[in-house]
Amino acid sequence: MSAQPVLAGPPASHGRKRRRQNSDGLPAALPWIGPVLLLIFAIVIFPAGFMIFNSTRDISQSGIDQGTAGFVNFAEVFSDPNLPRVLLNTVVWVVVVVSLTVLISLVLAQFLNKPFPGRTLVRMAVVVPWAASVVMTTTVFYYGLDSNYGIMNTFLVDIGILDSPYGFTKNVFPALGVAIIVAVFVSIPFTAYTLLAGLQSVPEDALEAAKMDGAGPFRTYFSIVLPQLRGALAVAVLINIINVFNNLPILRIITGSIPGYQADTLMTYIFKVLQFDRRVDLASALSVVNFAIVIVIVAAYVKIVKPMKEA
Amino acid sequence: MDHAIIIPLRMNNNAHSKRNTVNLLQVFLCQLEQLHHLWENEETMKKSIRTGFVVSVAAAGLLLTSCGFGGGESGGDAEGGTTLDLLVPSYSDGSKALWEGVIEEFEAANEGITVNLQVESWENLESVLNTQIQAGEAPDIYNGGAFSAFATEGLLYSAEEIASPETLSDFQESFAANEQVAGTQYALPLLASARALFYNEDLFQEAGVDGAPTTWDELYDAAEAITETGTPGYGMPLGSEEAQGEALIWMAGNGGGFGDAEEITVNTPENLEAAEFMKRMIDDGLTQADPGATQRTPMINVFIQGQIGMVYGLPQTVGQIEAENPDLNYGLANIPTASGEPATLGVADRLMSFKNDGDKAEAVTAFMDHFFAPENYVEWVSTEGFLPTTISGAEQMSGDETLAPFLEMLPSAQFYPTSNPAWNATDGAFKSLFGQLGQGMEPAEVLAQIQAEADAAAE
Repeated sequence: MSAQPVLAGPPASHGRKRRRQNSDGLPAALPWIGPVLLLIFAIVIFPAGFMIFNSTRDISQSGIDQGTAGFVNFAEVFSDPNLPRVLLNTVVWVVVVVSLTVLISLVLAQFLNKPFPGRTLVRMAVVVPWAASVVMTTTVFYYGLDSNYGIMNTFLVDIGILDSPYGFTKNVFPALGVAIIVAVFVSIPFTAYTLLAGLQSVPEDALEAAKMDGAGPFRTYFSIVLPQLRGALAVAVLINIINVFNNLPILRIITGSIPGYQADTLMTYIFKVLQFDRRVDLASALSVVNFAIVIVIVAAYVKIVKPMKEA
Repeated sequence: MDHAIIIPLRMNNNAHSKRNTVNLLQVFLCQLEQLHHLWENEETMKKSIRTGFVVSVAAAGLLLTSCGFGGGESGGDAEGGTTLDLLVPSYSDGSKALWEGVIEEFEAANEGITVNLQVESWENLESVLNTQIQAGEAPDIYNGGAFSAFATEGLLYSAEEIASPETLSDFQESFAANEQVAGTQYALPLLASARALFYNEDLFQEAGVDGAPTTWDELYDAAEAITETGTPGYGMPLGSEEAQGEALIWMAGNGGGFGDAEEITVNTPENLEAAEFMKRMIDDGLTQADPGATQRTPMINVFIQGQIGMVYGLPQTVGQIEAENPDLNYGLANIPTASGEPATLGVADRLMSFKNDGDKAEAVTAFMDHFFAPENYVEWVSTEGFLPTTISGAEQMSGDETLAPFLEMLPSAQFYPTSNPAWNATDGAFKSLFGQLGQGMEPAEVLAQIQAEADAAAE
């Protein structure tokens, strides 16, 4: 917050004037933003750099650096027969989770924006999956769906939907399905609240004007409300893409016991390479690829959608 | 579009300030919006980012030097005493307390040496160890399985440096031989364990099966008869927890194995036959559902609840049944094999010591001599429910009835080729790939995949 007045003063009409103001303010601002920059360096830039360094090294199974390896690790990554399937899974995972989350959240935000008795309670209830630890939520689902002692499995058998318990978390497609449901479940609170905040900034007079002009609810929503949500949607989608793409705990718990690499996304694959194959160098190279993909997605998104531009 | 749309977000803040909690998020959005102004003024920002970067690099440099990144100065506290880091897996719920007891007595008898205990689950143990080695802070004493890769990389003390001759000569010959790499003993055998067949007598009676099976065909028939009564006949855990264990039990039962110190041999005709038989049991529905993704520990719990006909279990399983379901009517028998000749999986875990700075051999020796003294060791090994590796220990424990069937099977046990440097990778490949047998993949393909990983690691 302290950096705000200096870095982002009120938009001035003359670019040149503003520029001078900013560079004058910089020395004064440094003591305030210094600690943050330091933190960013220590927990973001340095580890990322170290990861890139590791990806070009030959590291033994017990973790000893045995000299440079050039781009051998990357050659191995790109010739890996498992890579296409893993990338396909990753794309499906991100696209399905993010679109379901945003669609459901749009509906939910609209609902929470209407006054009704008990609204505060409902709003608080929506926060719960957000407040609970992801690992905990996922573990509840995992044990609930266990075929030997899972309560959800027992329930499905009792009401006659299943003849006998089914290993939802033990087969590739059902397990990915369950993971998607859990991911949507834990992503909704943030998304819904971001959109709700956006909805609340839609001016009443615009809605009234639309009403006066005879626009129906659908017309009003798509022509007035949705365009106003652009900023909020942009934030929600971008943050969700990054979060979902990099998600490890949900997939690790739900699909972790499935053998082979049919159910892996890039993230869980990296983890397996690290844990089972003990290839720090290869895992680093995969992480660099992972990192590059995220940057490309975000850059493409910003370029194509221009999310920050006001309509 | 409607003119109202152009009204900027910020102007509405006041009008809605009474709306409760959501306002906080509005502030957040507002900040993001200001971020977007920054974005627009990219040019302005470039300069300040550059300056900021230089400053943060300089400052971070200071920070890193003060933290001493690159490690090196672990252990050895200010008083001139020695600190030993001990990393162990959790064999049972009582493991931690048991080690704490050992450490307490050791510290009382050896002034100036303190021991830091770290207990990890088997699933995490090796990743924790790897992280520590990478950070230059390997544990001084480590209780684990595979060790040859560490030995060939020169990370370990030899056994002579970390135990007195009396302690070394007390180990049984066959176990000590298992701890050698290229003629030098590096690790101290800590415990041994063998597998046996546990079967549910009530389910056997219900299905009309007489006595425990001794061959694969009898096992197949028994599993089939039990499955027909509605309970899974045989529990086959091929999940990542211990797929290599179940695999070796079956392969040893057909005269196969995983190879020796020189060569890893997974894709052999004997092993393939065993894998094909396992697949036949899976395909014919004689196992629990989804064997490829079943972990051993939870599956044995299901057996203890009386919901599976037969499983391969450990000495500890006996104690576990006693504690959790003493009413279970079960029997213990040799592992059924292709021909009926006894064969089983033997596991030996070991203690080893990482050199680090190379100045703690004396303290480690004191600890090992203390731990392997019969009065301490026998209590430890029998409480954990394992078989002893020392001559004196075996003499003291020969009267134990629970362990008798397992001790009897130990001579016919096949061990993992832990002294082969490629074993670590093979082990990992089994854990992540062997379960595919239960997911419809052909046995030959599964074994070929694992062999390929082993060969890649051996290069």
